[in-house]
Amino acid sequence: MIEINKLAKKFKVENPKKLSDQDKKDPRLQGRFFHSVREVSFSCQNGEVLGLLGPNGAGKTTTLRMLSTALQPDSGSINIGGFDILKSPVEARKQIGFLSGGTGLYGRLSGRENIAYFGKLNGMTNDAIIKRTAELSHRLDMDSFLDRRSETYSTGMKQKASIARSVIHSPKVVILDEPTTGLDIMATQTVLNFIRDLKNDNVPVIFSTHHLDEVSELCDRVTVIDQGQTMFNDTFDAFRALDEVSLHESFLRSIGKPKHQTTER
Amino acid sequence: MWLVFQKEIKELLRDKKTLFFMIALPILLFPLLIGGALYVGTNVVKGAVEKTRTYAIIGEQFSDELVGKLNEVEQFSLQKLPSEVQTKEQIVAYVKEGNIDFVIEIPKNYSSTVLDSGKITLKLYRNQAGLKVVENKLNKIVDELSDLYQTTAFSSLGLSESQQISVVTPIEVEEINVADERETLGESIGGFIPYLIFMLCLQGAMLPASDLGAGEKERGTLETLLITPIERTKIVLGKFFTIAFAGVTSALVTVLSIALWTAILSRGEAGEVLVKFMTSIDAIDFLLVFFMLIPVVAIFAAVLLALSIYARSFKEAQGYMTPLVFVTFIPVIFAMLPGVQLKGIWAWVPLTNVALAIKELIKGTMDYVQLFAIFGSTAVIAGSLLAFCIYWFKQEKVLFR
Repeated sequence: MIEINKLAKKFKVENPKKLSDQDKKDPRLQGRFFHSVREVSFSCQNGEVLGLLGPNGAGKTTTLRMLSTALQPDSGSINIGGFDILKSPVEARKQIGFLSGGTGLYGRLSGRENIAYFGKLNGMTNDAIIKRTAELSHRLDMDSFLDRRSETYSTGMKQKASIARSVIHSPKVVILDEPTTGLDIMATQTVLNFIRDLKNDNVPVIFSTHHLDEVSELCDRVTVIDQGQTMFNDTFDAFRALDEVSLHESFLRSIGKPKHQTTER
Repeated sequence: MWLVFQKEIKELLRDKKTLFFMIALPILLFPLLIGGALYVGTNVVKGAVEKTRTYAIIGEQFSDELVGKLNEVEQFSLQKLPSEVQTKEQIVAYVKEGNIDFVIEIPKNYSSTVLDSGKITLKLYRNQAGLKVVENKLNKIVDELSDLYQTTAFSSLGLSESQQISVVTPIEVEEINVADERETLGESIGGFIPYLIFMLCLQGAMLPASDLGAGEKERGTLETLLITPIERTKIVLGKFFTIAFAGVTSALVTVLSIALWTAILSRGEAGEVLVKFMTSIDAIDFLLVFFMLIPVVAIFAAVLLALSIYARSFKEAQGYMTPLVFVTFIPVIFAMLPGVQLKGIWAWVPLTNVALAIKELIKGTMDYVQLFAIFGSTAVIAGSLLAFCIYWFKQEKVLFR
């Protein structure tokens, strides 16, 4: 189980002159600091899939980067199975699997070597790595290309290898930052199947997306954030119930936009 | 840390582009460059020497002797000046237009008894821009005749041979060189070798450095590396050693390739001098020269890594690194300045001290105590640069620019 409470993160604005007019109007800009995430809270139980929604620039990636310990929050707490990950981030990383749409592989290493490298970095023994790689390779159907250099992979192969890499150490929670962005239909399906598998394995999954069909297909819970704040945090059914017409309308409702007014005039 | 190092080296060895620049290029390119330069150089000089030059004489009636000597030179061919070329200006214009290679004017007072005639001044009209071939040949003739006339003059004055010598050169400076051959040669090439080594180390380390920092950002692998349970200090150290290793390897391969091919291609006199010179350096000094690479590479690797971590992309990293080549030039220039020696404060100036030490080692006049200063100052500088890299690598604003 993972629990996030009142997470906040601000960035120093290095050059205020470079900000666009839209940035300047953003209430999150206060003096020399841009408060990218102001107050985000949500939780996800074992075996649950949580969809993180929000417009571009809402603070989704920043939130997920804090969850993955790549960024350090200014305030708030993150608990994984009752374990405060901010107190010992290095130890906590063993519990987390992270994947984003932009994640790459080391092109000159084979898929197997890429996966093994991360296994070793996670402190796994060679035997354990071999065993787990075989298991993942079978599950993701990677046997035919696993020993080729990953620079020769197609997008789908790359995504499969990335998935295997991110879960080689059997993490207790998996975080995915827009994992399907830029992928073709086949590769997207691989990612979605993988999320379903994790759900069956009772691993909590948090993933951000712009595709509401993915949300309706997989998610038990939905969290909507806008301008760095949690606007909605409940079950998928409650999210759907926000509007009787469509999920898109539900989304607009959740961030406080009136019905049928998608663009400001 | 060694895990990171191991993986980076493995990846480096599989990168054809880097390998090409690090190993294939120095091994194949240098023989081509050196050989090509030697070939072209010899042929150009040979052609220039053998080419026939046309000339004309004004006042040939004043000296049959000189005219005869000029006639004997195989590559000189006598021509008549057209009758309208009379004044000095006309002669100058005639030569300038390239109608003739040179014109020689013999004065009226030309005589073999110089005591009566006074000083003889020959005028040579020629285009200065050409090779000195004409002058050399002409000087040979003139010197021969001068000596002859001088002796005639002296004997008519009744001077003895020793008196003649002291009249010609009343005061002479005799040089007694206390430096042995190694020291002399070391002084002349010892300034150039550090420059070469520095550049090669830097060049060899640059490509892997850009790849290891900025390249990793660009490919989207950095973020995943950051969230593995390995301390960032270890990541930085692993990368640092990879870059340093690449720099040393590249420099060694190139230096060895140059030495080898120069020896093979110039088996003549130059080769012999080189071999003699190389063998005059004792094994310990030779080893120490390579040992000197450690401080250089440590500093370079730390700077390159810092720049690479900061850069957003491979291209940006290369942009930051290029000016380094010029910056590196400065400490080497210091070491080449006269009066700058491996003593006192200079022994503590990074890179300059290494350049000086390499020179001293080659000359065989190394003060080994100064090694403490060299390694001491390097440890401080490379250490703080590395500490900066580690600090840099923990900064969110640097990693997620």
